[in-house]
Amino acid sequence: MTRLAEISGQVPDCVVAAWVDTRTGAVRERHVERPATFIDAALEAATEVMRSRERPPRMVLLSARHVHMFHRMAHDPHRVLVVICERSPNIGLAVALVRSFADAEAAAA
Amino acid sequence: MNPPAELEVLHILERMPPNASGALVRERADGTMAGALLVERGRVCWAMSERYRLRLTDILVAEQDTLNLGQLNEVFAMCHRDHMPLGETLVARGLVSLPVLHRALLRHTCEALDCLVREDAPWSWIEHSGYGYHPMLTFSPAEVLAGVRAIANPTLAARALKRLRAVVRTGQRGFAVERSSGSKLPLAQVGCEGIDLVAIADLAVQAEEVMAVAATIDIEVALAELGGLACASWAEDNVLFVLLCDGELAFNRLLAQVAAMIIYP
Repeated sequence: MTRLAEISGQVPDCVVAAWVDTRTGAVRERHVERPATFIDAALEAATEVMRSRERPPRMVLLSARHVHMFHRMAHDPHRVLVVICERSPNIGLAVALVRSFADAEAAAA
Repeated sequence: MNPPAELEVLHILERMPPNASGALVRERADGTMAGALLVERGRVCWAMSERYRLRLTDILVAEQDTLNLGQLNEVFAMCHRDHMPLGETLVARGLVSLPVLHRALLRHTCEALDCLVREDAPWSWIEHSGYGYHPMLTFSPAEVLAGVRAIANPTLAARALKRLRAVVRTGQRGFAVERSSGSKLPLAQVGCEGIDLVAIADLAVQAEEVMAVAATIDIEVALAELGGLACASWAEDNVLFVLLCDGELAFNRLLAQVAAMIIYP
């Protein structure tokens, strides 16, 4: 099991987990848990939002139905973890899990 | 075309030496004084303009219907005669409450400053070291700027302030900017008195850029964490709101708050 599959399995109602490259706009790796038509557009928006390194390294965006979580890696600022899950009362748990995962990835680097 | 009054005010406020006390005076070529902005320890105390005719007493009567001009003029004459501070005397006598006086002074200062910046006369800085204003009755540059900004669009500003007051919790700060406006100067603010104007504008620009991209995927609220500061932003009715929270678990607390909030498109 890949690390992305691991986190998408843990986050409740996960739609997708991915690594994107903000320099090239490329999706380096993705694990789709629940196929949805908006995933490509959402990853593109994540790349755009996190492209400027002046932006905070950690962001959470809420739509009416989904939670989008972005983490920029300190050691590799072009590499951004994106996890999108469905919006539910477990929002705090999802955010905490993704944060721990990003911290573990940073520590392992 | 002249730049908007709030930009002129921003430039004037930026001229004030940090923590300085004195007056920024505008004198015409013929030697007459157009008006002045009084400053104490970097905070605005009072503004006067020859073009601005409304008196503080008129505003106080409009703000508090239990007051009448006769009462106020009597106290005003006594303060003038005995060299007593008018505001503090009105509060001490129970004629007005501190919040009403604060609101009236801020309105008078902002409206007078809005007139003063439209004059065509050079500014000069006259320093002084005498302190006399009650800190509660002086204003931060952010408060003054929001007050002047609100003159241009009072309905939108009042709505933004009402919304901010409804969402800003104890220990939090928030401000609102008009989205279609080129400048990112506050339209309304709550608790941002201590925040530098440039920092407010930077936060507004960042929030606006994020919301512009996020809108393509129907995002309602964006949250960001920078150091110990958490920041949430969202747009309603052409107004961008920014809510700031710091301290322990700031991000988690703000997340829980905005997740439960209803955003009005």
